[in-house]
Formats: sequence, C-alpha cells, structure tokens
Amino acid sequence: MDKHHYEGRSVCLPALASLPAAEVIALAQRLAQGWQRRYLALPEQGLGMLQLQESTLHQAFYLGEFPVARAWVELTLPDGIQAQGAAHVMQDNAELAEALAICDAILSAQLPGAEAVAKAVAQGQAVRAQVQANRKVMLAKTHVNFSLLETTGGNDD
Amino acid sequence: MGYVAIKGGGKAIAGAEALLDYLRTEQGEAGLPLDTHTIETQLRYLHSRVMSEGGLYHPTLAALAIKQSLGDTLEAAFALRAFRSTQPRLLESPLLDTRNLRVVRRISSAFKDIPGGQMLGATTDYALRLLKMQLLDESPEQFRAIAKAWLADTPQTDIPDTFPKVLDALRAEGLLPEPQPAAGTPFDITREPLVFPVPRSAALATLARGETGSLLAIAYSNMRGYGDVHPTVAELRVGYLPVLLPHPISGELIEAGEVLITECEVVAMYGKAEKGQKPTFTLGYGACFGHNEVKAISMAILDRALQNGQANGKPQNPSEDPEFVLLHVDGIDSMGFCTHYKMPHYVTFQSDMDRLRTTQQQQQEGKA
Repeated sequence: MDKHHYEGRSVCLPALASLPAAEVIALAQRLAQGWQRRYLALPEQGLGMLQLQESTLHQAFYLGEFPVARAWVELTLPDGIQAQGAAHVMQDNAELAEALAICDAILSAQLPGAEAVAKAVAQGQAVRAQVQANRKVMLAKTHVNFSLLETTGGNDD
Repeated sequence: MGYVAIKGGGKAIAGAEALLDYLRTEQGEAGLPLDTHTIETQLRYLHSRVMSEGGLYHPTLAALAIKQSLGDTLEAAFALRAFRSTQPRLLESPLLDTRNLRVVRRISSAFKDIPGGQMLGATTDYALRLLKMQLLDESPEQFRAIAKAWLADTPQTDIPDTFPKVLDALRAEGLLPEPQPAAGTPFDITREPLVFPVPRSAALATLARGETGSLLAIAYSNMRGYGDVHPTVAELRVGYLPVLLPHPISGELIEAGEVLITECEVVAMYGKAEKGQKPTFTLGYGACFGHNEVKAISMAILDRALQNGQANGKPQNPSEDPEFVLLHVDGIDSMGFCTHYKMPHYVTFQSDMDRLRTTQQQQQEGKA
C-alpha cells in the first residue's frame, strides 16, 4: 500500500471502531495469523470516568462513566519485523480493542495487510460521514429565523 | 404479645420475582419481546433518563435495565449503578470541552440571532399536546414510511461540525465573569462520601446523576419564589461529544467513541461587584447524559442557586442549601429509603404498640 494512504490514528481508529465489531475482529485475526503477539498491556474492559469542563467558569467535574476497552500489542512477523499498535474503544469488548490495536500496528508500520485495513477504514469513514450528514440534515430542516412580531409578514418559516 | 423475628418466605419471594417476569411476557403468543435497540430508539427520553440517573453511558445496558424493570426508571437506574459497581475503573478521560459537541439541537432564549443560528432539532416545544390516535393502529409499513419520507427530502447543507458558544460573545463584551478554573482534580462522588462543605465539582457531579423529578421540584421552588435566580437560557444544546483518550503509544488524543449529552448555560441576575470590579451577570451550568432538557435546565438553576448560597455565606432558601439539595436529589438513595418502609418492621412496630398501650394504661390509671 502506498504510505500516503495512511491518514493517521485520529482518522483510522475511530473509522474502524464504527464498523461492526465482528468484522474488525475477523479482519485482524485473518491478517495477524501466524504472527507472534506480545501484550505490552493486556486487553481489558471496564469503565472510564468522563471529565468535563463546564462551560461557564471552565471548572472540571465528572459527568459520569462510560464503558471502555483497551489493548497494546507488539507484533513480530516471521521475517523478524516488529511493530506496535494500541487502541481504546468505547465498548466493553476487549477482543475488539485488541483487534483495533492489531490494525493500528499494521497501518502505522505499513505491514502486509495494510491495504485491507485501509479499505476497512474507508468503509468506516463512510459510515461516520453518513451519521454526521444525517445530523446536519436534522439541523438544516429545523433551522429557525425568529422575527420580531412587527416585522413579520404572512410567512412563518 | 412478644417480639418476633421472621425467617422463611423464600418460595414466595422467588415466586414474586418470577411473577414479574410473567407479567412482562403475559401477552404470550400475541406478543413480541422488546429488543434493546427498539427501547433505545422508540423510548429515547426514558432511555436517556435512565443513563443519566444511572451515571453510566451504556446505551445497550440502559435499554436492558428498562426492559427488565418493566419501565420503572428508578429500578432501571439502580440496576445500571449496580452493574457499574462491579466493573473496574480503567481510566479517566482528559478534560473534555463541549465546544466539540456535534450538535443536533441548539437554541437560545437570550437572543433571536446567535452565531451559527438556532436549530430546533427534535422537540415538542411548539407541538400541540394532542394524542395522535393514528398511532394506536400503526402498521409496520406506516412506521417505516415515516422514516423513509423524512430521509427522502434531504437538503444539501453547509452546516459546520461545531458551533461557537453564545456565552463567548457576552464574555467578549465584559458582561460575564472571567473563567475561574478550580485547582486540583474534581471530586469523585463514586469514591468519596459527601461531607459538607463540598466543592462545586461535587455538586455538579451529584446533580448530573440526580433524579430528574427531584431536580425539577427543587429548581421549581426557586422559580416560584423560594429563591431569586431568574434564569435566562443563554444556550441549550443537545449533541454528541467525542470522547478523546490519549493513545498509549503516541499520546495523541484519539476519539474512542461519543456520548449524547444535553447542556444548558443560564445567565442570572448580576450581583454586587467586588471593589474595583465591574458588575457582571452570574451563571449556572447544567449537563447530563442523554437528551433531557428539563434536567439540564433544572441543574443549571440549582447550580446558580447553590453558588448564591455559598456567596451569601448562608442559604436564604432550600434550593441554596447544599445539604438540602445534594442529599435529596439522588433517585437511588431516595427510592431505597422510601421502599425500605415496605420491609418487615415488625419489631419496631411491636415496640411502638407496647409503648402506646403503656401510655394509655398510665393515663387511665391516673384518671382513676
């Protein structure tokens, strides 16, 4: 794969996470088959605490918790090439976090299979774009221009 | 009559639990089980409420909790909190800024025109509260047609991903106090008990997972006159906040997911300025998981009222009293105390009866 196609973690990981978990797990398992896998942090799932900056006086507080899974792996290919990958995902699915970490390693080090992962990234980006487009339609269809009573005609749009 | 302790009842208790499940399924062959996605989408306000009161943004488990509790919001939030207490805490997010909110609704009652515009989003604010009788017999075809028709007419938009805050304009004009970030880490109400006085971060966290009706009731007391916040909603937003977490290798902030939140900023009456300072409006803040505008507005009013109480040194009314507000808004706490009265109190009541009989006897003997 052409290295120029790697858009960075901030694009690739969220895109992959928006695909069905089973698809991402199957992809990572297929691509990393036969490679050695060492855990730099064991895949685990639990909760994260969301720290929010309230927007009036800019003070911090905890809004509540969310499910989270994370993993950090080092892959060693049969030819000795090594690469690390890691990921957090807001789902209680450690297996998915591990799959994302594998995809992260493959993409960032341009390992064999990077093209397949890049294809999945493109699918994920399309999913995210569709979701965001739907939200914008919600806004566009409900955009309101209130007028003062004395300036109104018959139109209430 | 002697004091009695009780035991047993195991079969009846198991039977009562099984009966609940029977009631859930009593439609029999004519019924279909509710799936969690249906609950999440078709009962979205109920679902939002349970997520925020449970203090856990887990859409699937919140829907499950609603299903198993037969729609009882307090029981559902309790189940969600019980679940969270079994899970390890892996991390804390960095400080997230709601300027990054992917907005689906945004209004202001302070200004007609706001930077970026007002978008009503999904709301019943201007709807007639008339029953839609046609929904009584809604067919699957009709149901699907509504969504299809809505999506069919999709205008091209140049709407941005995020919007500026209304408060920024007021602040630029010098009408608002300067930001006052607090030092140290916020108070974690899931790990520490509330021992008063508590910092504002404890109040905000407690209100954020408080019971909607409780927040509304106390905020309403302030609105009606047991208080003087007189709020104006500078901005109310509903949207999806990206949860950014540092990547373990690079440290770069990467989106791990997003949470739907409702956020409200209220501007309240200006107070007396300190010497050498300009008077400015005062502010209140509310936010919670999910789409729950009554809760966010009530929280913002209570935040302002509590700040007033603190500034005055002594609460002037119940909504300014942090002990009164913060110890009475939690749905799980208050529901637990309330429902415990259904549990056997045979021993204490026997004691009450004995004392009453003795008092009556003594009174009778005195008369004689």
